[in-house]
Amino acid sequence: MTAALSVASLSVNYTRTTAVDDVSFTIEPGQCFGLVGESGSGKSTIGLAVQGLLTDLRGVTTHGTVTVAGTPLDPSKETGWRGVRGHRVTTVFQDPMSSLDPTMTIGRLLGLVAGSTAESTRWLEEVEIREPATVLRSYPHQLSGGMRQRVMIALALARRPSLLIADEPTTALDVSVQAQILKLLSREREQLGCGVLFITHDLGVARAVCDEVAVLREGKIVEHGSTAVTLENPQNPYTQRLVASRLTLHSDRGRPVGLPEATVVASMAEARGIQDADLERQWTEGSLRWSDFRAEDEGGPRAGAPALELAKVKKSFSTGGFGRRHRKDVLHDVNLRVGTRESVALVGESGSGKSTILRIAAGLEQPDTGDVVVDRRRGEGVQVIFQDAGASLTPWLTVRSLLMERLGNTVTGAGLDRSQREAHLRTALERVALPASVLDAKPAGLSGGQRQRVAIARAVVVPPSLLLCDEPTSALDVSLACSVLNLLNLLRHDLGLPMLFVTHDLAAARVIADRVVVISQGAIVESVPSDDLGAAITSDYGRRLLDAVLS
Amino acid sequence: MLRFTLSRIGSLVIVLFALSVLIFVVSRFGGGDPVHAYVGGNASPDAIAAARTRLGLDQPVVVQYWDYLTRLLQGDLGLSLSTKRPVADELSSRLPATLELAVVTVILSIVIGLVLARAYSLRGRAGGIIRFVLFSAASAPAFLIATCGLLLFFGQLGWLPVAGRTSYGASSGLSGFYVLDGLLTGNILYAFDALKHLILPATAASLGPGVALARVLADGLDTSLRSGYARTARSLGETESQLLRRHGLRNAAGPVLSLLGVQIGMMLSSLVVVEQIFSWNGLGQYLVTAINAADTNSVATISLLLGAVYVVVNTLVDLGLAVLDPRVRLS
Repeated sequence: MTAALSVASLSVNYTRTTAVDDVSFTIEPGQCFGLVGESGSGKSTIGLAVQGLLTDLRGVTTHGTVTVAGTPLDPSKETGWRGVRGHRVTTVFQDPMSSLDPTMTIGRLLGLVAGSTAESTRWLEEVEIREPATVLRSYPHQLSGGMRQRVMIALALARRPSLLIADEPTTALDVSVQAQILKLLSREREQLGCGVLFITHDLGVARAVCDEVAVLREGKIVEHGSTAVTLENPQNPYTQRLVASRLTLHSDRGRPVGLPEATVVASMAEARGIQDADLERQWTEGSLRWSDFRAEDEGGPRAGAPALELAKVKKSFSTGGFGRRHRKDVLHDVNLRVGTRESVALVGESGSGKSTILRIAAGLEQPDTGDVVVDRRRGEGVQVIFQDAGASLTPWLTVRSLLMERLGNTVTGAGLDRSQREAHLRTALERVALPASVLDAKPAGLSGGQRQRVAIARAVVVPPSLLLCDEPTSALDVSLACSVLNLLNLLRHDLGLPMLFVTHDLAAARVIADRVVVISQGAIVESVPSDDLGAAITSDYGRRLLDAVLS
Repeated sequence: MLRFTLSRIGSLVIVLFALSVLIFVVSRFGGGDPVHAYVGGNASPDAIAAARTRLGLDQPVVVQYWDYLTRLLQGDLGLSLSTKRPVADELSSRLPATLELAVVTVILSIVIGLVLARAYSLRGRAGGIIRFVLFSAASAPAFLIATCGLLLFFGQLGWLPVAGRTSYGASSGLSGFYVLDGLLTGNILYAFDALKHLILPATAASLGPGVALARVLADGLDTSLRSGYARTARSLGETESQLLRRHGLRNAAGPVLSLLGVQIGMMLSSLVVVEQIFSWNGLGQYLVTAINAADTNSVATISLLLGAVYVVVNTLVDLGLAVLDPRVRLS
C-alpha cells in the first residue's frame, strides 16, 4: 500500500535559523501521526512544507523530498504541487475565525471545493452540522467557534484527500467543544481512510487521537514511536520533561508540578533558605511540599476578613447599534469571596463572564449594582497578570522602568532611596527566577516565558493586597506553564498572597487554587475544594467541564 | 441589507435637513446684508424696504425657512443677488462642468490608486524610485502640481491646452458633459478636444488622493494576503491570482472605500482652486465670484450643493462597505 505521506531528510532554513533539521517519517493511509513539540520546535513549518507552501519563498531554503500518496515532490519548487495541494493534501488550521474569509458565505466557500450545493450540504451533514441550509447561507462570524471548525473540516475533506494536516485544530476552542471535534476527526479518518498529520503542543490531545507520535525539539525529532510507549515511558530527557509537565486531574497539588527547573529551583531554595542541590533532591524525591513554605503556619487560608468580597454583583453591557440597542446581562447576582491567603480559581468557558468578574475586582469595570470590597490592609493595591504578557508590557520601556513605575507608585516605594529601590527590583526578579541582567532589556528582547515572569515580578515587586491572574499560562508552552504555576504557588505560599485565578483549564485551576468556583452564563454554579475536585463537582455544567479534560 | 439601506437613507435625510438649516442660518445671519447686495450701496430707504419685502426678509424666521425649504425642494434655488438671475440658471452650465471634472478626477484617482498599489509591491530599486517620486508628488498641493503641469505641458511642450473646457465653444448636447456629448453626437474630434482640456486639471486634483488610496490599498492587500483565510485558500490549492480575485481585493477594499469618501470631499474643495487656475467655468469659479460680490444666496446654494454631494457620497460609501463586508450589515 502506498504511504499517505513520506518525508525524507526534510530540512528548512530561514535566513538566520534552522527551523527543521533532517526530519524523516512516514504516515500510512488511515494512520494518525502526531507531531508534538513546543512553540518554535518547527512542527508548523513541517506542516507547511509537506503541502508545498514554502516553495519559491525569499529567505527560505528547503531540502529533502516529500512524497504525497506516491507522488515524489520537491518542497522547494512550485513545480508539481498543483493538483496535489488542496486535492491530495488539505489542512485544518488552528483558528477557524481567522482561517475563513469573513466576506464569503459558507456556501460560496464550500462550493469552491465541493462543486455543487448538494455536495456542500452533504459535507456539512457529514461533519454533523444540524441545519446545513442555514449554515450555507451564513457568514463565518455568525457561527460559533465549534461550528466554524466543523466547516473548516468539511472544506478540508470535501476533495477526499489522501493526507489531512490538522494544525492545532482544537487549541482555539473551548474544552467541551475540543472533545467533539477530535471525535469527528477520528471518525472521518476511519471513513475516508486518509492519513492524518496531527500537529499539536498538547500531549493530552496527542494521546487521545494519535497512533504514533514524533517529539520535535528545535527542528529535530528527538523521540519517535507508538503513542502509548512514547508518552507512557519516554526515554529522551526532553520528552520526559514534557510528559511530566502535563497536568491532569490526578497531579499532586501539594507539591511543585513538573520536573525541577534550575531557575525555579534557585528561587525556591532561596525562599526556604537551603542549598539548590538539596531542594532539587527533595523535589525529585517528592518530599518537597508547599506546606513547608512559611506563610501557611500563620493561620488557615480562610481566617480573618476576606481579601475580596463581591456581593450580589450585576453587570450588563449594551450591544447593537443606533436604534436597536439592547442590554445583555453578563453577570447575575454574583457572590464571591476570596479569603486572606486563599487562592480561588474561577473556571468557565469563553463568554461565561469570568473575565468580567476579574475586571470588576481589579476596578477596571464598575458593577451595575452590588458591592465590591477589597481588604487593603495587607498589601498595596490590586495587581493583575494578563494572559498576553507581551501586550501588557509597554514596548519602549526597559524592565527596570516597568518595575520602577509600579514601585514608585506605592507607599513602600516612596519610602526607599535609589539603591534600596534597585535592591527591591532585584529581589522581585529573583522571586520569579529571572537574572538581574534582564533589568536593562526591553520586552521585545525577551522570550514569551520571560515576559510573563516580568509581568509577575511587576505585580509582586510590592506585595499587592490581591493578585488577579487572567489565564496567565494558557498562551505558554507546557513546560513554561508549569514553571509559571510553580512560581505563582511559591509567591502564594511564601508571601501569603490572596489570589483570584481565572482560567478555562480545570487541571491548572486545581493546582494553583484552594477552591474552584465554576461559572456558567454569568452565574456561579458551584464552589468546590480543589483537594477533592473530581468527586465534589456535582453540577451538570461542572461535570461536563470535568469530562472534557482529557485524561 | 434592506433594513440597513433604509436606516442609512433615514440618516441621510436627517443630515441633509440639518445641513439646510445650517446653511439657511449662516446665510441669513452670518454677516453681509443680502438687501445691500441686491439693491446696491446707494439705494434709497424706500428701495431697501421694498427689496426687503420682495426677498421675504420681513417674515418671521421660521416662515422664511419654510419658504426656503419648499422652494428648494421644487428646484427653485432663488435669485442671485448680484446678477438678479435665478441661481438655478447660473448653475445649469456650471454644475455639469464641475461634475465632469469631478467624475474624471475620481476615476483617475482610482486608476492611479490601483496602478500604484501594484507598484508599491514591486521589490528593489524600481519600486523605491516610484514610491519616492509619488510621495513627493502627493505631498505637493494641487495648485503647485497644476502650475508645474502648465509650465511643462503648455509652456514648454505645447501638448495640452491651458484653459477652459473646449477649443470649439459650448456643447449643444444634452448632458453638459462635453466628452460625453461629443461621443453621443458622433463628433469624435470634439470629444477628444474636451478630453485634452480635462487632462491637466484632473491630474492636478487626483494625484494626491490617488497616492493616498494606493497606500491604503497596498497595505490592505498585504494584510489580506498574509491572513489566515489566504493561507486556507492556498492550502485548498488556489493560485495567487485566484486568491487575489476571490479574497484579496474584496477584503482590502473596505478601508479604500472609506478613504475615497473622505477624499471626494476634499477633492471638491481642491477643485475650487483648480478651476481658478484653468479658467474652468464651474461651481468653483462661480463660488469665488459670488463670494467677492457678497452674493450670499448663491454662496449658500453652492455650499448646500457641495455639502449634499459630500453627504450622499458618504452614504453610498457606507452602503458599499456593507455590500463588501457582511459583518457591517449583519451585526
